[in-house]
Amino acid sequence: MKVKFSVLPLLALVMMVLPIIPQAQAQETASAPTITLDKTSLANGGEITVSGQAPAGAQVYVEVYAADKKVRANRFDGKKDPKTGKIPYKFYLTHEMPAFYKIFVPKDMQPELDKAKAAGGGWKYSEVLKKTGANAAYSEPAKIKVDSYQATIMASILGSRGTLLDPMDEKATKSESMKLVKGRFRSVNNLLGASVETTPEGAYTAKMKLRKGLAPGKYNVIVTAVTARTMDGDKETVKKVKSEVASFENKQTFPTVYLGNAGTSINLLWPFLLTLVISIFGVLMGAGGGFILNPILVSIFPALPHTIVAGTVMPTVLFSQGSGIYNYSKIKFINWKLGIGVGCAMLVGGFIGPKLTELITLDQFKFAFGWILLVLAGLMFWQTTPGYLEKNKKEQAILKEFKKRAEEAAKGNQ
Amino acid sequence: MKVDFWGHEFEVNMWVGCLGGFLIAIMSSMFGFGGGPFMVPLMTVALGLPMYIVVGSSLLAIFFNTAMGTVRHMQFGNFDLLLFLAMFPAALLGGYFGPQIAKRLSPVVVKRVACVGLVLLGLKLLGLY
Repeated sequence: MKVKFSVLPLLALVMMVLPIIPQAQAQETASAPTITLDKTSLANGGEITVSGQAPAGAQVYVEVYAADKKVRANRFDGKKDPKTGKIPYKFYLTHEMPAFYKIFVPKDMQPELDKAKAAGGGWKYSEVLKKTGANAAYSEPAKIKVDSYQATIMASILGSRGTLLDPMDEKATKSESMKLVKGRFRSVNNLLGASVETTPEGAYTAKMKLRKGLAPGKYNVIVTAVTARTMDGDKETVKKVKSEVASFENKQTFPTVYLGNAGTSINLLWPFLLTLVISIFGVLMGAGGGFILNPILVSIFPALPHTIVAGTVMPTVLFSQGSGIYNYSKIKFINWKLGIGVGCAMLVGGFIGPKLTELITLDQFKFAFGWILLVLAGLMFWQTTPGYLEKNKKEQAILKEFKKRAEEAAKGNQ
Repeated sequence: MKVDFWGHEFEVNMWVGCLGGFLIAIMSSMFGFGGGPFMVPLMTVALGLPMYIVVGSSLLAIFFNTAMGTVRHMQFGNFDLLLFLAMFPAALLGGYFGPQIAKRLSPVVVKRVACVGLVLLGLKLLGLY
């Protein structure tokens, strides 16, 4: 009885002091975890083990991120807010997203991750972070600078991102950063792994697998040990200690190169071979290769953002179109009035389109592209129907005749 | 609008042509493809022009769109130089070898094969299999 009476006021005192100097308190009660990596470098991915000593009984989380490679991430908020019933039309953009980000959580949290995986593309990163307790370790992306724009339909048509809004506060930035992280890395497996094992004494080890094709350069590893969680209504107070930063290098050799804008590494031979095969096929079927190249690129390289794919494939056909125009113009086979007239309308369309690419998500991109391909398949099929072929035969004959005449005329001029 | 081509005169409804071109341009620059397979049917079917006037002129119209789309994609930081350098020579080579192979194949068969391929790819993108 005596002991109980003396402990209670002391506890109360500690509770009162805690919110004032939580940092100092944490340092007194638990020492920072130690951290060691078994390797200093990886060759384009591989396995690396982090181990050390954390306070006994603590939950251990390992945060890994690319330290010197940053990528762009953006998100368009066009969903109706259930509270206000208004659509925010906000566009969020950052250039400081780490090119790689992953949190490893204790092994026994695998079921939570499996549940998130089962939810498919609609899983919520912030919820999983909360459920696994990993939000205690979530720190690096929370510091990124996020620009927010108030987009309007008119501004989008004119091709502007809208007006730049005042910088968001720390809390808003953190919550938006989670959405951006999810939008950038998409799958549960990319962002979370359950592999941290701890002994009752607090010694921990975590095997971290890095896949091929990640950004090269320096990676930082930080261990967060959560010693206590207390719930105060909805607000959770977490006592945690962080280790020092440990780093390793991810090395790559040619032809695997890092695509700075895409934020991913790729063996350059693949896009080369793909483009070669597809552009030959494109010539055969009389359609540009972009129709097939784009969807195939986003399907087999899920790490390539669709904006980069669309923006990079487009210029590749510029040259062949230019040479085609030159060849046709030599034999006077272009009606400039018609071409430029329709061309002007297309110029305006081409001004608007690229803006829209960054407003849609990869899934929307795939969905729309799927329908475009089906329509195209319909057009192709129509071009093989007997009626069309009959008409086409006549026209091809005229075309040949005209070409011949045109070539002769061109020769005559020389 | 009246269009004169090799001594033949054609009446072209520019409203339809421009509106169609505009919509095709938005779609094609948004998704990063050329747009030829849509432009040619637009000009032949909706505008009623014969094939021989369409092939060159539609290419010219599309070129405007591709050029503008390229500039805009670069402005928005959607262009990756290394990826471009890997694909560009391949596209040139493809453009060189393509026509030589095309001579030896029946265009109808190629188009039917392409048709099946496009349907499969389209269904895959829609997540139906």
